[in-house]
Amino acid sequence: MMQGWHTFFMDLVEQMPLILHGVGNTILLGVTISVTGLIFGIVVFYLALSHNVIVRSCVKGYISFFTGMPLIVLLFLMYYGLPSWGVRLSPFVVSVIGFTMNIAAYNAAYLMSGYNSLDAAEIDAAKSQGFTPLQLFKWITLPQVLLLSVPALSNQVIRNIKDTSVAFLIQYTEFFARIQELAASNFQFFKAYFFAGVVYLLLVSLVVLMARWLERHIVIPGLHRTLDRQS
Amino acid sequence: MIKIRSLVKDFDGHCVLNGVNLDVAAGDIKVVMGASGCGKSTLLRCLNRLLDVTSGSIHFMGNDITHKDTDVRQLRQQIGFVFQQFALYRHLSVLDNVTLALRKLRGLSRADANEKASFELEKLAMIDHRHKYPAQISGGQKQRVAIARALAMDPSMIVFDEPTSALDPIMSREVAALIRTLNEERVTILCVTHDVALGKVLSDNVVFLDRGEVKAEASFDYLCHDHPDAEVRAFFGRGESR
Ligand SMILES: Nc1ncnc2c1ncn2[C@@H]1O[C@H](COP(=O)(O)OP(=O)(O)OP(=O)(O)O)[C@@H](O)[C@H]1O
Ligand SMILES: [Mg+2]
Repeated sequence: MMQGWHTFFMDLVEQMPLILHGVGNTILLGVTISVTGLIFGIVVFYLALSHNVIVRSCVKGYISFFTGMPLIVLLFLMYYGLPSWGVRLSPFVVSVIGFTMNIAAYNAAYLMSGYNSLDAAEIDAAKSQGFTPLQLFKWITLPQVLLLSVPALSNQVIRNIKDTSVAFLIQYTEFFARIQELAASNFQFFKAYFFAGVVYLLLVSLVVLMARWLERHIVIPGLHRTLDRQS
Repeated sequence: MIKIRSLVKDFDGHCVLNGVNLDVAAGDIKVVMGASGCGKSTLLRCLNRLLDVTSGSIHFMGNDITHKDTDVRQLRQQIGFVFQQFALYRHLSVLDNVTLALRKLRGLSRADANEKASFELEKLAMIDHRHKYPAQISGGQKQRVAIARALAMDPSMIVFDEPTSALDPIMSREVAALIRTLNEERVTILCVTHDVALGKVLSDNVVFLDRGEVKAEASFDYLCHDHPDAEVRAFFGRGESR
């Protein structure tokens, strides 16, 4: 048994540059889609508040479509399906687009549920002061909704990190793809996937720590308990 | 300053304001009273176009603001609005509650906005609390911040929607005295309330609104003792026992 681990680690060390490169790609994709997913999610959320019925129903359609569609189907559709229309995109680009669409739909849904717990009188007060809809969104609605949604949004980031492993199925050489190669080269499947699990756990723990820090520091003084109860 | 004529507002056929006439002169303090649900808040919300009227006219400083081409944002910046539930921005400190509109709407620098806001907060004895957040101060203090926020924009008038109904009697008296002081400093005030005690502190005369119509505009004494309608006498009689 010990012998097995020893050869596994030898192989691991040998392939370490590739594996580290894979971890780098995993982090790159995870960070990119978390940022684009948040920004696009905010845009979708803003459109969801529109007075225009058509815009609102498009947004509803968008959210139910992308929360309902399995991500892997979306990625395969773009990576393996689009070339038949002459559109060839790199694995990274396909991943960023596919993940962003999916994550933005979830984030917008979280922000909308945060919006429902806002105080209507505050919105009226801001309108009464003469703020335009966009100013009101920027200075009143969005800051409050983001604060309320920190737990949901940081859970989404954790999901994003884990879900990046799916991207190896469309040839994106991230960490999990490198682990696949390692396992295939020495048939040490258990050890390889066990190691992968540990690395993902470490990455996720890092995000959890950052999220906890954020939750502690970005908080409305005096309102902490009320927010806890709402979330 | 304000001239409301035959103002009608209905919500899907349900008539809430039914031909209201009301005048507020510059420097005046006008108190509108009426039971819960008689349309007081609706009246105020028509005034700054949070609601569009069904028919009738509202002249504000000579212009009919019910017109489609009214600059609504300009109008709203001229009317300070103080809400029943204070409606402070809970993610902002007391100081920033007052400065936000100065910075974003008036384009003042942070330093200038802070100076202006500090002046108003000082006047309302809230300057020592400027770094606190709404959740950390009492109801009466919140109401004073709300008033400072309105005053900071140098509005032509301030409207109050039930400014005391979320306050205990002692704080109510404090806020009532404050509103009176503001008026003595020549701020035009329109205040709607069902708190008879507040009405009496603010003015000798009162407009009585009932089911969307102005039933009477008279002195408290008259409404309480001599008005022909027993319901009206009963409404104002409640204030006597306090
Ligand atoms: N947006 C709305 N849609 C439909 N009906 C409304 C709306 N706003 C108010 N109403 C109705 O109009 C009537 C008057 O409401 P309003 O809020 O003006 O009363 P109020 O005199 O301010 O009462 P209170 O003293 O309780 O604040 C109520 O019957 C209410 O149900
Ligand atoms: Mg009301």
